[in-house]
Amino acid sequence: MSQDQTDTAQSFDDLIIIIAQNKDRSAFIQLFEQVSPRLKAYAMRCGASATDAEEVVQEALLTVWRKAHTFNPKTASAITWLYTIVRNKRIDLVRKERPDLITSDDLWPETYTDNEHLENEVESDLNVNIVRTLLHGLPETQRQIVYKVYFEGKPHSEIANELDLPLGTIKSRLRLAMKKLDTLAKEQMTWLIIILLTNF
Amino acid sequence: MANYHPSDELLMQFSAGQMPNALGIMVACHLETCHHCNRRIKVYEQLGGEIMQDTAPVEVGSNVLSELLLKLDKPETEESSAQKPYASVDPRIPRPLSRFVPSYFDQLEWSGMSRSIKEFELPISDTQYSAKLYKISAGKELPVHTHKGNEFTLVMDGSFSDKAGDYHQGDFILADTQTVHQPKAADNADCICFAVLDAPLKMTGFFGRMLNPFLS
Ligand SMILES: [Zn+2]
Repeated sequence: MSQDQTDTAQSFDDLIIIIAQNKDRSAFIQLFEQVSPRLKAYAMRCGASATDAEEVVQEALLTVWRKAHTFNPKTASAITWLYTIVRNKRIDLVRKERPDLITSDDLWPETYTDNEHLENEVESDLNVNIVRTLLHGLPETQRQIVYKVYFEGKPHSEIANELDLPLGTIKSRLRLAMKKLDTLAKEQMTWLIIILLTNF
Repeated sequence: MANYHPSDELLMQFSAGQMPNALGIMVACHLETCHHCNRRIKVYEQLGGEIMQDTAPVEVGSNVLSELLLKLDKPETEESSAQKPYASVDPRIPRPLSRFVPSYFDQLEWSGMSRSIKEFELPISDTQYSAKLYKISAGKELPVHTHKGNEFTLVMDGSFSDKAGDYHQGDFILADTQTVHQPKAADNADCICFAVLDAPLKMTGFFGRMLNPFLS
């Protein structure tokens, strides 16, 4: 993990907090410049056209502006918070033409995020670093499948066809990747912290 | 606190925003009361953030920022108010499902051929999954059956059991083609479940077909 990455993550946090406190437009513009190309890339990898992806970016950043006060660096990193916003906006864009479909608000009612009192600062910081370390530590074959789950949401049979691999291989690779990631969700996995510390 | 949870794979799909409609609603209902799964969701959301961070950036048109800046001071439109949950909702209905259930459980127009099991069609079915509520009368047992596909069940009220376990409010249960079971509601109360199926049930018992509430 490079020092740069750490600095960038830090400055996202700061910018969002400044926006929350002062409705500061220059901080907002700075944040926009830094994050919008990645938000757009994410929406496009999920299947949005360039135009739709830009609409998603606008909607997401409008929410950042309005909801900056709900950002709590103790419970989520800035990039995670931004991810959940853009993820929800992408879902809602698809649903705009179809009022019968569920919305992101059905799936993630705001009430949940209000009572995130369970996590403490130290733990959440560690998690972010561990997730990053583990994601980058996954073998390429496993990581490829995790990316497909996030960007394409495809059934395993379709992933198998695309990669020209047996379905069983896809399932076992995903299971291996998940097993590694799952260990994160369990606390007291001190060996993970040791791995993390030895990486510094 | 629930004892049966969605698989990690489902939680990852949910965090990825790749689980629309009925199954997504069901996972959201489970999450409403399950701290255990909420913690996992947080990890998978962090993973989503890292994955987004890793994506090669795509240049954004210069008009996007200027348009956005014009919107900043406009008052927020109350679009979401059009989707307020039903006014009188049964407190036993989890919040993510409440918008789709028009009244208290007792006042729903349950339908079904048998007195032991009734169903109520939910308006969130899609091409992949169909969604319904079903109610097993207190102390009643369903015919032995297996499944052509996956059947996800979330217990909302009462409890039921089969050979594999006892299921209570908030439990998230998956039965698949390997499962042959005979669910029985507890004696003291009707059991009301939210079910999402990806294929019609196939009863194995003699009267199975007649009693099968899931065949359309
Ligand atoms: Zn759970």
